[in-house]
Amino acid sequence: MPAAYPIPSDLSPATVTNTASLIRIVALGLISGAAIASRLFAVINFESIIHEFDPWFNYRATRVLAAKGFYEFWNWFDPTAWYPLGRVVGGTIYPGLMATSGVIYNALHALNLPVDIRNVCVLLAPGFSALTAWATYMFTKEMKDESAGLLAAAFIGIVPGYISRSVAGSYDNEAIAIFLLMFTFYCWIKALKQGSAFFGTVAAIFYFYMVAAWGGYAFITNMIPLHALALILMGRFSSRLYVGYSSWYAIGTLASMQVPFVGFQPVKTSEHMGALGVFGLLQIIAFAQLVRSHLSSKQFQNLLLVAVISSGILGSLAIVGLTYKGWIAPWTGRFYSLWDTGYAKKYIPIIASVSEHQPTAWPSFFMDLQLLMFLFPAGVVLCFMQLRDEHVFVIIYAAVASYFAGVMVRLMLTLTPVVCVSAAVALSTLLDTYIDPTEPPSSEDEQVLEKDAASSEAGSVASTASAAPTTKKGKKAQTNSGADASASSKKASKPQKGVFGLDTRLTVIMNAFGMLSFFVLHCTWVTSNAYSSPSVVLASNNPDGSQHIIDDFREAYYWLRQNTPETAVVMSWWDYGYQIAGMADRPTLVDNNTWNNTHIATVGKAMSSSEEVAYPILRKHDVDYVLVIFGGLLGYSGDDINKFLWMVRIAQGVWPEEIQEPDYFTPQGEYRVDDQASKAMRNSLMYKMSYYRFAELFGGGQATDRVRNQAMPKQGPTLDYLGTNIWLPPIPLTVLTIPADEAFTSENWIVRIYEVKKEDLLGRDLKTANAFGQGKKRKRSKPAVRRRPIV
Amino acid sequence: MLRHWCSTSLSLLIAGLLSSEAVSAKDFENTAIVRQVDLAGSLVQATTTYAVKALRDGADVYTVALSTQDKERTSWMEARLKGQQKALVWHARPLDTPKTDYHFVDIKLPKRLGLNETLNIVLDTVQTHATKPWPEQSAQKDEQALIYKTGLYVISPYRTLVQRTKLKSPSPRIISHTELEDISFATGAPFTKSGSTVTYGPFNNIPPSSNEAFLEKHQDEVLIHFHYDHPVLEVLKLRRAVEVSHWGANLNIQDDIHLRNAGPKLKGHFSRLDHQAQAFYKKPAPHVLPSLTLHLPPGIRNTYYYDLIGNVSTSRLRAAPRLPRGSNAKLSSVLELRPRYPLLGGWNYTFTLGWDAPLGDSASYDSKTGKYYVKVPIMTVIPGAVVDEAEVKVTLPEGADDFEFTPPFPAKSMWISTEKTYLDTSGRPTLTFEYNDLTAKHDGYIYVSYRVPISAHFQKPVAVSAAFMGLFVLAIFWRRIDLRIHKTKKA
Repeated sequence: MPAAYPIPSDLSPATVTNTASLIRIVALGLISGAAIASRLFAVINFESIIHEFDPWFNYRATRVLAAKGFYEFWNWFDPTAWYPLGRVVGGTIYPGLMATSGVIYNALHALNLPVDIRNVCVLLAPGFSALTAWATYMFTKEMKDESAGLLAAAFIGIVPGYISRSVAGSYDNEAIAIFLLMFTFYCWIKALKQGSAFFGTVAAIFYFYMVAAWGGYAFITNMIPLHALALILMGRFSSRLYVGYSSWYAIGTLASMQVPFVGFQPVKTSEHMGALGVFGLLQIIAFAQLVRSHLSSKQFQNLLLVAVISSGILGSLAIVGLTYKGWIAPWTGRFYSLWDTGYAKKYIPIIASVSEHQPTAWPSFFMDLQLLMFLFPAGVVLCFMQLRDEHVFVIIYAAVASYFAGVMVRLMLTLTPVVCVSAAVALSTLLDTYIDPTEPPSSEDEQVLEKDAASSEAGSVASTASAAPTTKKGKKAQTNSGADASASSKKASKPQKGVFGLDTRLTVIMNAFGMLSFFVLHCTWVTSNAYSSPSVVLASNNPDGSQHIIDDFREAYYWLRQNTPETAVVMSWWDYGYQIAGMADRPTLVDNNTWNNTHIATVGKAMSSSEEVAYPILRKHDVDYVLVIFGGLLGYSGDDINKFLWMVRIAQGVWPEEIQEPDYFTPQGEYRVDDQASKAMRNSLMYKMSYYRFAELFGGGQATDRVRNQAMPKQGPTLDYLGTNIWLPPIPLTVLTIPADEAFTSENWIVRIYEVKKEDLLGRDLKTANAFGQGKKRKRSKPAVRRRPIV
Repeated sequence: MLRHWCSTSLSLLIAGLLSSEAVSAKDFENTAIVRQVDLAGSLVQATTTYAVKALRDGADVYTVALSTQDKERTSWMEARLKGQQKALVWHARPLDTPKTDYHFVDIKLPKRLGLNETLNIVLDTVQTHATKPWPEQSAQKDEQALIYKTGLYVISPYRTLVQRTKLKSPSPRIISHTELEDISFATGAPFTKSGSTVTYGPFNNIPPSSNEAFLEKHQDEVLIHFHYDHPVLEVLKLRRAVEVSHWGANLNIQDDIHLRNAGPKLKGHFSRLDHQAQAFYKKPAPHVLPSLTLHLPPGIRNTYYYDLIGNVSTSRLRAAPRLPRGSNAKLSSVLELRPRYPLLGGWNYTFTLGWDAPLGDSASYDSKTGKYYVKVPIMTVIPGAVVDEAEVKVTLPEGADDFEFTPPFPAKSMWISTEKTYLDTSGRPTLTFEYNDLTAKHDGYIYVSYRVPISAHFQKPVAVSAAFMGLFVLAIFWRRIDLRIHKTKKA
């Protein structure tokens, strides 16, 4: 047999196996290391801190769990959230994440390793990403072989699409959920392949863990039944499928119902009906098979016809009836928004207002997946070429996840694993083909002889390819067929199928390695630049190039924590609710757990109305402080003025007569904050709080809002209802026209906190009281009216 | 520390020498007493000089009287002879009756005095919480003023020929002070004011004054109201944890500090605009604390500064290099730190500050006794601040025993406990000292000596190795025992 390059032949098979196994272990170890290390940019560039918004709640809940124990946590009623309603935390969260951290924390402390709970939380996501790499390896191994598995593990370890949700400090449900997702799928494939009740049960246990950890468990709930259904429709029903599915569904569903937040949903809501239906279908088919084995073929056919028709009609009637009666909840709004991307904007603005619920932009596919995006379809095609049961799974997963990833940015996360798996299968096939040293038989004579025969065989390329000489690893040859076919088809002029010489091999392999290197560079760049910012802390550069940290959020939150009464209620837009609860430790009106739309709309109304309207709302909700985010000085674009239209829209949804979105635009339809701003805009509490005394900062110069690039009017807004309770004598030095103002403004003016005045002691309205305090005369409006000539 | 005078081990030693009988007014005569009070924020330094003439041969204990107010304020006291460095031994007398308005402190003189022999005794004290802001609230742009009250006369159990009290304000801007008339002991004007100093006196021929009758009849209170241009700082709670690590050759010191601006409470609200304008025009408000400068030991590394919600990035450290052993150079690493927000009157800020220092700089081993000696600083001085409550915790290496400790001054309370940290099996002995009202004068060292057996050094590696060994053994068995019911072929 000719070979492109010599390979040692005097190795015993045991040596080869052991070496391969050692290399695999070392490679997996290195991949885990790379996966963890690449997620530590955030810690190194900034610090060990919890990121963004939701993680702050998870962190706070974990602290309660670690400090008070699980039962206390389970029964935790948080009176400081959604003031004055409160929140039953134990029953409204997925506790898997907190429980995981709590277990790790307690285990470490039992070993006398007093690690801070914050560090456990911060490093949980990187730690689990290493496990995800391993689970992906196991999963891909089932699809192709170990080498594809290692590639998939390496991909998922560093792919930005997954890193975006699992950098150190991104302490969110997704941090552990992707591992659980992949491992559940692995167990399912294993259960299906072996017909193993054991693996079915393991899949069910991990499914339960997943249900306890992330709302995205519905993806598994529908993926596995879809796979089973596809197999049934393909005529691939087997007892292995029956055993695997039944054990997974029965145990998994019962277990998932133990999570209070899920409760009876698995038997009551439409999202879970598919799984139940497939379960029923499997029972019917299994029963039919049993009956068939005892009956003659003719009788069976009649019976089958009647049974299928009647059970089909009965089953669908039952589901429709139950849905109609309300026993089964219809699809939720969030579900509809998956099919119609405009649905949420029309009916549930609160969902649409979240940036991660927007449809995905094309560049983000490249940003998150880069090279894998191109390898992914090839991998799916390779799956089609073999189409074993598990390949059907990957194909369905790829189709479903691609769609969802296109609909919602955050669902990019569920697409990423399957992209890594498919891409690994494709790339591994390519490498197998080109690293394999076996040369096709290539004597000149044979070529000439085969020339005629080859031309007639042009159509059946695959068969020639599979007839190619077997390699030293027999099983590889099979999987190679696809790539061989494509490779050989390029050389159509040559009748000989196969790869010739070292140069071809080196070209392709070097090319592949080049692409992989660029992939690594890209991943590193994206991770360090785009996905490692805690968003609590902003970074900029000093003139000398050193890093300058803009820490306004924490400055203001810490001020609240240290210098206001513990019961002071803080009102802010819901984005900052979790952060205020976590960092400032103060009650909030609304937070990121957006369960009560009316309450949020109330806050939206208060922010978008004039002071006179907003004041009673604030007082009725016992609001002591109002917090707004203002980026105009620094150019921080994620500020409240830019989010303001969502507040208006959400408020409009509840009070359509009082708040109307068009009022906040100029007659030309522009969104402006300068002197052309509409009246409703200028009178709104949000506008006033954002720009209060902003113009004075420029000391007579032209004040400019750097986010919206608009010049601000010289005369800034005045506040009558927010400010101090104490009357101050006018200060002669400045041009102040009103006595008191904001309670606190952070260094770069990003966070501005206002105190709500209490009612005037003399019963005047605050505007009058304020005017009196400044020594202004009351305006006389009556005479002016009298003098006007009657038309 | 005056509250704990009685527990002084030193003073217990000399308690026998000093009689607690009533002070004999015949022993001494004060030819002159001059008291100078250097006014400031949290810490007020009062120096009283007694020119003493012995009226009896062989007297060697001079008694100083303090009013109850002074005693409560005084947190540090030192007596010495004028022009000499050496401190004299003093001992506070237990109270005769709980209701007296004065307290006696006996000072042991270096030698017995002969008849009519004279001596100048200087009594240095630091008073804490002696001034208070007045007005109690002030707006961000207002100035800060404090008031200080004290007794007109320095009381003494002896006759005093002439005495003066000087109140020295940090700046000449004194708003007001008590203006007295008709003082029976005064020959000229009872007070004079020149620049930043208000002097009460001279008062002549004052009889022994540490008795109810005199205090009732003659003692008066004087008050001074003055501008103070620095923030008044108070550390409500300082918790210092010191960990001695032999394996890491490291001395870790971590301070949890609750800082408070004890100046006038902020009236109205904080305006960032005004604050930035003040900074821009270089006219910072006197009662606003924008930043702190601390002096840390030289040679430190891994300095950290964080608070409850994470790292505070606004700090700058200029680390001084490690000093060679035995060097007497005064070097310190300078840490400039800024709280997250400027500290206005009445605002609080809690933070944690810590660093690692080479153990060799503060510990040594005596091969003769086989003991380690380590010195632990009690506090890092925050300039001008008083520490209301301090807890200093010294954690010795695991397995340390036979320990002895010498604090620079006695603690309010002290106990020994055991703590377990990183991979400890038996725990580390921990000494905890509690103090009240510490000032910059209390910046001393706790000396601890202890013995660590060789076996204790290896306790941790052995424990960790044993744990791993156990794991591996388990793994070995796990791999070799087949628990499957169906003995199928190996996959």
